[in-house]
Amino acid sequence: MLLPRFSYHQPASVAEALEVLGQHGDQAAIIAGGTDLLVNMKHGKLAPRHLVGLEGIDGLEEIGADNGSLVVGPRLTASALAASGELSGAAQALALGAASLGSPQVRNRATVGGNVCTARPAADMCVPLLVLGAKALLAGPDGPRELPLDEFFLGPGQTAKKPGELLTGLSLPRPAEGSGAGYEKLGLRKALEIALVNVAAAIWLEPDGKTIKQAKVALGAVAPVPMLSPGAEAALTGQTAGEEAFAQAAEAAATDAKPISDHRGSAQYRREVVQVLTRRALGQAWQAALGQ
Amino acid sequence: MDKMRIVLTVNGQDHELLAAPNRTLAQTLREDLELTGTKQGCEVGDCGSCTVLMDGEPVNSCLVLAVQASGKAITTIEGVAEGNQLHPVQDAMVEHGAVQCGFCTPGMVLSAVSLLDKVPDPGDGEIRQALSGNLCRCTGYQKIVEAVQDAASKMERS
Repeated sequence: MLLPRFSYHQPASVAEALEVLGQHGDQAAIIAGGTDLLVNMKHGKLAPRHLVGLEGIDGLEEIGADNGSLVVGPRLTASALAASGELSGAAQALALGAASLGSPQVRNRATVGGNVCTARPAADMCVPLLVLGAKALLAGPDGPRELPLDEFFLGPGQTAKKPGELLTGLSLPRPAEGSGAGYEKLGLRKALEIALVNVAAAIWLEPDGKTIKQAKVALGAVAPVPMLSPGAEAALTGQTAGEEAFAQAAEAAATDAKPISDHRGSAQYRREVVQVLTRRALGQAWQAALGQ
Repeated sequence: MDKMRIVLTVNGQDHELLAAPNRTLAQTLREDLELTGTKQGCEVGDCGSCTVLMDGEPVNSCLVLAVQASGKAITTIEGVAEGNQLHPVQDAMVEHGAVQCGFCTPGMVLSAVSLLDKVPDPGDGEIRQALSGNLCRCTGYQKIVEAVQDAASKMERS
């Protein structure tokens, strides 16, 4: 399988990258790990005339701190995030999602920026990023801007990122004490799989260790975009953590889900699975928040 | 589409090449450097038969552009044995009958070698996880997993 012909650009800075992107408009595609883009190009679905590689730009491959937030570099690979010691507490959700993406070979190349910009409804890193309230940091010809991730995803493969803009980071609140995360994915097999349903959960506990200060549940593969469940959040806030609250939240999440039937599973089955996985992910997040 | 000058360090040896941007690392290894031990199966990152180590980590060389691999250290299956002395993983795979048609074997060996470099004494689950990106349609995996376990214990002892 041959790749179509293209020119390859290796800008040395974000400014240079924006210049190249500006010059070539929709003829240019950004490449990081290439695990998605190159597959689509081999299948003839995409044929950009210019590829813009980000490997020459410093600073896109680290987790930095900015006031109260962590800024996750878009070129960090799924492997690097899965093993990162900096993603503690609720932020562990991102590490858990990253660890379940693709295969070891794919995780060594696939990047979080690519996963976010590819915007698949079941994306293993996007669903966790939603429960963390992540913001996309974009650089563009009109200067930088920030966009909450739930406004960034517009549809399967579609985002609010304009051609000519570059994702320069993902900003997350810095991990808090007494917080924890869970991630559950159901597929037909354990590796190299796109989820039938995937669920991420994060819980922030009050200092009493029992009351839920805040909790978020995000669902994958049950809507055109990875989505937050407002029903689950409402069912959990202020409640005592435990099976009862989690069961109610799971029911609310299943109501919020908007699944379709496809070759991976029926809408009805997906809705059932959302309930089961939400309960499990919340249980996992609770144990993690308690430090167990 | 101008060709680009790249330097690949393959199995410890530097190669300076002119590569078209749309050449993959797998194509460059097989066709330009004639290292045909790296196999191309699905060519879209699903089967793992093109697995090579890039700076020690397994990657699908069908999904890495040659220009992206410039400056990296690549290990292919040709660089695993030392002369006529097979790597313990290769020895164990022969001994355990873990090779049938052999098409997945180079990639499988490299994934296993990379695992044992990091985890000298892996459990069954860790081995299966490390090999989860390498598909084998012949063996049913059991003999491969046993071979890696055996190689690990032999390497621990030596």
